[in-house]
Amino acid sequence: MIVVENLVKEFRVPEREEGLSGSLRTLLTRRYRTVRAVDGVSFDIPAGSRTAYLGANGAGKSTTVKMLTGVMTPTSGHCLVNGLEPYRNRRRTARRIGVVFGQRSQLWWDLSVPDSFRILRRIHDIPDAVYQRNLRLFRELLDIDALATTAVRQLSLGQRMRAEIAASLLHDPEVLFWDEPTIGLDMVLQEAVRELVNRVNRELGTTVLLTSHDLADITSICDTALVVDHGRVIYQGRIDQLLSTAGQRCVIFEYRGGPSPEAVAAEVEHALPGTRVRLDGQRVRIDHPVGLLSSREVLSFLLERVDLTECYVPEPDLGTVLKELYTRNGHRGRAPGGAA
Amino acid sequence: MREFLRHARLAWYLGGIGLQRLMTYRADFALGAGAFLVRVGVQTAVVGVIFQFTPAVGGWTLHEMVFLLGFSLLPRSLDRLFTDQLWELGRRLVQQGEFYRYLIRPVNPLFALLSERFFHPDGFGELLVGAALVAWAGHHLDLELTPAQWLAAAVLVFLGALIHMSVKLLFASLSFWTVTSFPAMHAANQISEFAAYPLEILHPVMRAFTTWCLPFAFTAYVPCTYLLSGDAGLVVWTPVVTAAALAVSLTVWHRGLATYEMTGS
Repeated sequence: MIVVENLVKEFRVPEREEGLSGSLRTLLTRRYRTVRAVDGVSFDIPAGSRTAYLGANGAGKSTTVKMLTGVMTPTSGHCLVNGLEPYRNRRRTARRIGVVFGQRSQLWWDLSVPDSFRILRRIHDIPDAVYQRNLRLFRELLDIDALATTAVRQLSLGQRMRAEIAASLLHDPEVLFWDEPTIGLDMVLQEAVRELVNRVNRELGTTVLLTSHDLADITSICDTALVVDHGRVIYQGRIDQLLSTAGQRCVIFEYRGGPSPEAVAAEVEHALPGTRVRLDGQRVRIDHPVGLLSSREVLSFLLERVDLTECYVPEPDLGTVLKELYTRNGHRGRAPGGAA
Repeated sequence: MREFLRHARLAWYLGGIGLQRLMTYRADFALGAGAFLVRVGVQTAVVGVIFQFTPAVGGWTLHEMVFLLGFSLLPRSLDRLFTDQLWELGRRLVQQGEFYRYLIRPVNPLFALLSERFFHPDGFGELLVGAALVAWAGHHLDLELTPAQWLAAAVLVFLGALIHMSVKLLFASLSFWTVTSFPAMHAANQISEFAAYPLEILHPVMRAFTTWCLPFAFTAYVPCTYLLSGDAGLVVWTPVVTAAALAVSLTVWHRGLATYEMTGS
């Protein structure tokens, strides 16, 4: 569905010198520095997948999305969305994609949301049945009717975001590009947006490419992760598999009676080498490296020694795993064979 | 052809939206039309005052001058009615990263841009005042146009509007490289004001400039010379000049689209 090959985007940034004399100098002889925002990246995203496009700030995520949506033209290399190069076939691509840039608006700022939707319906030639079905869906999940007659420019950020999300889905696009789509949404609406995107993915087979800083968005919308660092793909595969690459696991528990927490901590660290124990009141947290111990070993040790009342073995969190992944690649340079 | 018809239908629909917006923002409409009337009123008064002292300026009589002034408003008003969104392109659309939205719609990007604001309120006042001045001056000049000349006049107004649009598009497109090009657009617009006056009163350099560089002379002076005196010397060049202006500005626009850098994350 989405094919990216050796995609490069360079920007020319004017170099400025400091101070008055410096700015006079730059006025006369302007020097440019070339910044490579996307550095020869290649990947392939199958139809119907829900992919999170991840990377540290400056990894070129947004720039890549801007090329995939046809907004910007690559410096070299190319990409295909549904078999078309977006920036060369903008109109045909536009029929098939839905776009949200969380920081920007694609609506008519001095018209109401229903008016904007009526225009979009004409522009996209949306069949009546599709239009009505989608409006029903947006009413149900996004409470779009509450925005009724207010001009877009008078909406709050959260209200506008709801309208933007709905606008991106109005014409049943085959691919959704969402760049930071849940900015300004409260928890309830974030949940509704996830439900919405998962529903269109299930029912229409819509391919989703999401960039977000909200890890909860990522784990609940996407099943696949594409991790890019310095323009290179350092991981592509299922998110649950990515999580299982975490170097550290932990077990958190509470117990009744018996020895003091300090004594338990000392015993655990002695009996299970490599673990680190932290105390938080009655609650004890054991961090252990994956290679040396399994969660099972830690648990069976605990079951034998103390009278457990509560026990949590949380899934490693995505943020930590990503941080590990970036550092690993930062230190070793080249990417491991992380592609699945 | 099918795409053309689709765009025509959309233009009709979006034109309706534009009119609807006029009704919603009536104060805007009144303010725009009012400010415009004052401006043209002053312009006409200046012409009137000048003719208190002299019977002719550069060979033009009072009524001929008013005819020219009125005629110059016609293509300008058409242009203002349909392409005013170009000012926004020069002013802020690139700078604030908003331009992307015209590239993700399944219509021609230029159409998407222009159609966002059809029927700018000032345009109506301009059109009416222009028509009134032309009618009044034409009456006093005992101007009798043949049907062919009527047709030619309509075509010349349309071509003039295209020339205004081309110049505006050219300078607005510079914003793809310079982020904002409002000052350049403003300067070009100032020069376009000269279209309301006879070329004879301009310095020869300026005369050549407004004829062959930014060809505003073809929006009013050349058509009026033809309609008033039947002198067809330059007027036959109008379609060529219009085509050239369009070609240059559309080329720059397309280059601009390819270099467009959407700012921010």
